[in-house]
Amino acid sequence: MRRSPTWPIHLALIAVCFVMLVPFYWVLKTSVSGENIFTFPPSIIPRNPHLFYYVDVWYAIPFARYFLNSVIVSVITIAANVVFNAMAGYALTREFRGKGFILILFLSCMMVPFQATIIPAYLITGQLGLLNSYVGLALPQFSTIICIFVFKASFDAIPGSLIDAAKVDGLPEWRIVWTIMLPLAKSAMATNVILSFIWSWNNFLWPLIMTRTPEMQTLPLGLARFLSYQEDTTGALYAFCIMVLAPGILLFLLAQKEFIQGLTSGATKG
Amino acid sequence: MEAYSGSRQHGWRKWLLNRFVLVPAAILAVAGAWDLYASAHDDGLVIGQVLDAQGKPVEGAEVTLWVFSFTTFAENRSVKTGSDGSFRITGNPSHHIQLSAAKPGIGASQRIPIRLYFRSQNTKLAAPLVLPGKA
Repeated sequence: MRRSPTWPIHLALIAVCFVMLVPFYWVLKTSVSGENIFTFPPSIIPRNPHLFYYVDVWYAIPFARYFLNSVIVSVITIAANVVFNAMAGYALTREFRGKGFILILFLSCMMVPFQATIIPAYLITGQLGLLNSYVGLALPQFSTIICIFVFKASFDAIPGSLIDAAKVDGLPEWRIVWTIMLPLAKSAMATNVILSFIWSWNNFLWPLIMTRTPEMQTLPLGLARFLSYQEDTTGALYAFCIMVLAPGILLFLLAQKEFIQGLTSGATKG
Repeated sequence: MEAYSGSRQHGWRKWLLNRFVLVPAAILAVAGAWDLYASAHDDGLVIGQVLDAQGKPVEGAEVTLWVFSFTTFAENRSVKTGSDGSFRITGNPSHHIQLSAAKPGIGASQRIPIRLYFRSQNTKLAAPLVLPGKA
């Protein structure tokens, strides 16, 4: 049987990739040229490119401080997500009374938007004395239901005989999770890291509500502050967007293999 | 239980020599090198020359440094040129400046915008400030 050539598929995929990358290229191009987005005809290649808009952003607001705040909050969020979601995911792989109810409860909670629970979240954070703190900024995202299910799907694919063997050897439950389940669920872990990072990194509403001082603000708030400062924002605004986007894109590129595996694990059977 | 402790002999290699450590380390190294470079070249020095319309050096011209302040440029400091038309401004506090020169009887130059890569970066003008008249 003669195999059909694959180049038409690759050509089509390259064309689709090109279309999807155009907006990113446009943001990058505008960040180094400052060209007005309404310029006609638009130039594909940036005219007189330079990096001074990035310098403007760096000095217009305390960018380094906001960046550090975002990094700290994201690291806390990621660590909490991996630990709590792994524990919850492992618990959901075990059999216990009311498991079905818990699963339905989790699924139904996914339909409640954060905006609907933001007042209780604020009151609880206030009662804990965590307003205007890094832990308080990360607190509502300590555990996310989607990521719990990602861990559950990954743990479900691990043979139960491994867990049984570990129990026979006398391993406690937490060590089973730490030394057996997690090393075998690296893709789920990468998915957790990337998703929790992106959600934490882009979070605007919660930091807006619970931070009291400019020193505790994160990058999305910095972007809003920057927009209120600058009049001619085209180049600098796009440069700011690139500076905010870069860490997320870098993290995704670093862990994309595991991320895709994590999202698709448990999606197929047999 | 020992079986679950994992191999310790390749532990540090496994934790250190992977892309999740090497890429951030490389970025930190570049950022650190840039910081070192910036701290060694941030005296706020601006050096240049003032010429007349015929290309001759202008002595005693007043060179003014304008610093970007929020939305406009504000006058920051002035110096006089030497006998060879050169000037040396110290203490530039900004990364976004303009320079202008003027001398009674010869006229005033246009303001030249200068963008720097960091605050107070030492810089030497690529082109001189040109006054419209004859010295």
